[in-house]
Amino acid sequence: MKIEWRSWFQNRGFSKAFDQARQAAAGTPLEDYYDSTLPLPDDMLETTSLAALDFESDGLGTSAQLLEAGWVNIENEALLLNTAHQMRIRADNKLKPSAVIIHRITDDAAAEGASEQYVLATLVKSLAGRAIIAHAAAIERDFLNAACLRCFGAPFVGRFICTMQLEQRWFPKVRASDGLRLGKLRAQYGLPSYRAHDGLTDAMACGELFLAQIARKQQSDLRLGALLMRD
Amino acid sequence: MVAGGLETFMELEEVASFLNRHAPFDQLGHDAVSALARKMEIRYFPRKAVIIDAGKENVFLNIIRSGAVELRLGGTELTHRLGEGGLFGYPSLLHHKLTRNQVVALEDSLIYQLPKKDFLELYSENPNIQGFFAVDEAERLREAVKTLRQSVEKHDDAGLVAAKLGGLLRRADIVTAGPDITIRKAAKLMTDADVSTLPLTEGTVLVGILTDKDLRRRVLGNDISPDLPVSKIMTPDPLTMSANDNLLSAMLVMSEHNIHHLPITNDEDAVIGVLSSNDLLNRFGMNALRVIAEIKAATDVKAVAKAARRVDAVLTNLVDSGVDANHASRFISNIGETTHQQLLKLAEKELGPPPIPYALVVFGSLARREQAGGSDQDNGFLLDDRYDPEQHAAYFETLATRLCDGLNSAGYVYCPGDIMATNDKWRQPLAVWKDRYRRWIETPDPDHILNITIFFDMRAIAGDAALVEDLRAQVFEWTSVNKIFLSFIARVAASNHIPLGFFRNFLLDHDEQEGDVLNLKYQAIAPLVDIARVYALSLGLSEVNSQERLMQAAKIGGLSAEGVADLLDCFEFIRNVRFRHQSDQIKRGDPPTNNLSPKTLSRFEREHLKDAFGVIRTHLDILRRNFAGNVQ
Repeated sequence: MKIEWRSWFQNRGFSKAFDQARQAAAGTPLEDYYDSTLPLPDDMLETTSLAALDFESDGLGTSAQLLEAGWVNIENEALLLNTAHQMRIRADNKLKPSAVIIHRITDDAAAEGASEQYVLATLVKSLAGRAIIAHAAAIERDFLNAACLRCFGAPFVGRFICTMQLEQRWFPKVRASDGLRLGKLRAQYGLPSYRAHDGLTDAMACGELFLAQIARKQQSDLRLGALLMRD
Repeated sequence: MVAGGLETFMELEEVASFLNRHAPFDQLGHDAVSALARKMEIRYFPRKAVIIDAGKENVFLNIIRSGAVELRLGGTELTHRLGEGGLFGYPSLLHHKLTRNQVVALEDSLIYQLPKKDFLELYSENPNIQGFFAVDEAERLREAVKTLRQSVEKHDDAGLVAAKLGGLLRRADIVTAGPDITIRKAAKLMTDADVSTLPLTEGTVLVGILTDKDLRRRVLGNDISPDLPVSKIMTPDPLTMSANDNLLSAMLVMSEHNIHHLPITNDEDAVIGVLSSNDLLNRFGMNALRVIAEIKAATDVKAVAKAARRVDAVLTNLVDSGVDANHASRFISNIGETTHQQLLKLAEKELGPPPIPYALVVFGSLARREQAGGSDQDNGFLLDDRYDPEQHAAYFETLATRLCDGLNSAGYVYCPGDIMATNDKWRQPLAVWKDRYRRWIETPDPDHILNITIFFDMRAIAGDAALVEDLRAQVFEWTSVNKIFLSFIARVAASNHIPLGFFRNFLLDHDEQEGDVLNLKYQAIAPLVDIARVYALSLGLSEVNSQERLMQAAKIGGLSAEGVADLLDCFEFIRNVRFRHQSDQIKRGDPPTNNLSPKTLSRFEREHLKDAFGVIRTHLDILRRNFAGNVQ
């Protein structure tokens, strides 16, 4: 049997990082997440527990203020809307005006949200045992990691699937510069157009795109490892 | 506080707003829809993927968020196509049965799926949802017709059609007299009370009625002594209506019998007032009664045509007033009938009285009193058997020409199939007509049977009606015992192609073609008329009107009461759609037709037309089973 060295190394690296993070997270709200068994790359995709996630923020760096988190679980290739969450995060500083325009979230509305700690604790708890799907997932990954460090003093280590990367990997072609944007890709799959930039809607939009991508891939024995985001 | 804030914030806006735009969820209200949205699962099916297989267990109510699907009975015969907002999978949930249809994605589709448990909970708690999912299309149609009627009652002119006659009478203290008083005394009574009609009663029983016009015409005009008893000149045993009847029925009676005064009785049959057509005319402007009066007053063909052409305005008025399709058809038919009668009357006046008795017989929709806008003419002359071509042909030929030309100028265009009295074939003595019918019935010709069904809806509207009665009695005697002929007629009915329903802006047909024109006459009304005719012929019913035929068939037991109720709802609904559509055409300045574009149909109309198609198909199947089996 041919050994997939790359995935073997990746997995070994992942396990190491996961265990380190787990130790750092002891006694924090991250504990449940690290106590769970994350899906393995060898797991059949069909039966893998997943969650589609999207953050709204006022910027892109690790210092960016998170404004909102939206997520929904995916089981057996279906979005389960009874697991859908949308939580606003109370802003500590004044919002950057540019972000206000994009997200239509005003200071007053943002102030109504819960604390970042509370939202994050709720989020990581429901991510236990799941791989995470996001569009341009590196951003969500970095946001989540930075926020966990900020709130709980421990990093976030998880398995991510990036729908943008998946599209390029599975269906490569020459595209316009914005051809990989969520809305553009959805339109190609005949998915309805949604009002963009609301955490939950974007998470759902990404989750639906994911369902469409695996349907088009038409491969019955897909395993999680084949979909995971690569650096 | 946080919890409350979070809850409202968890709104699944995209899902909820979609559900809010689509039936039946649009009736649920904001909170219920929000809660429902959270119970959905979302799945994606690429084109050609099987969403539900036939003969399997199904666990979801499916709602098409985007894309389209196709339903095939047992995986083969196309049942339906559904687009955005379409629902499927519910019959198996409601009846805890295996699925009958296979559902395949016609396009890449995003489907919202409501788990069975949640669907059944929603269903059991919500009468609106139950009504919507009533699997029985007949039941749904009944609700739709009820909705139409309710909307009539809510209409601005609600007082108009639905008003009870009792409430319309202007005076409570009715003046009456006995039939034995003198004409002079009656006139004085009327003058003193300032009334134009005087009901004449014996005790409380109405025995006659006297009007201003009677005094003028029958007394002054005829030099009759005013000292004679009023019973000599009264109209005896006048038609009456009950205080509980509605205005629409009263107008119909007046237009059908050409009367202007209608005594109204209470529950004890005592006269409580007199309704005059002038009261109604003054209140309702352009209506059938006025047009009929104008046609009757016309002294030349041009004036008849001018008045008769106002049938279009009457049609829009009837529709705008919310008059139901059955009544509207009768008013429209009355105008048609009066036009025929007046044209003949004018022609006879000019040509002299007919040398032998004859009858004007009409066929098809006018015979059935089911005319709508844009009708052509179908007529013939039944001549007395003393007919001698040498002596009489010229007279009747000229009379027929006057009639048919006049009708054409009045908007009832020449019959494309040449079924007109001007055609020698349809201007024959009774014996020839009988022979012809006997041939049709005893040696039916499969190639021509379609062309002769119209002749089995016949009615005399002028001349000697007894001639037509004679013919019809004979014809029905033959048909009711001739099973082969009945099976031919039933087969013609059963061969009607009824559409499946609508898919997006197209009409979906059995041949799986998507059409952009629905012909209400051929694809929905004619099949219903055919069904009623088969029952009338097989049971030997004398009724010509489809509704009356069906009701009579139920009474005799040829058809179940429930079946008849379903068919009548169906007939009412389809004709209602046609009238509203024709009214729109007329308002746009177009001639009324039976063709409509599926694009112009409301969701309500589409959904219930589909139900109506289903009911018609069911009854055509019954015909096929019960009557069409006798043909090799």
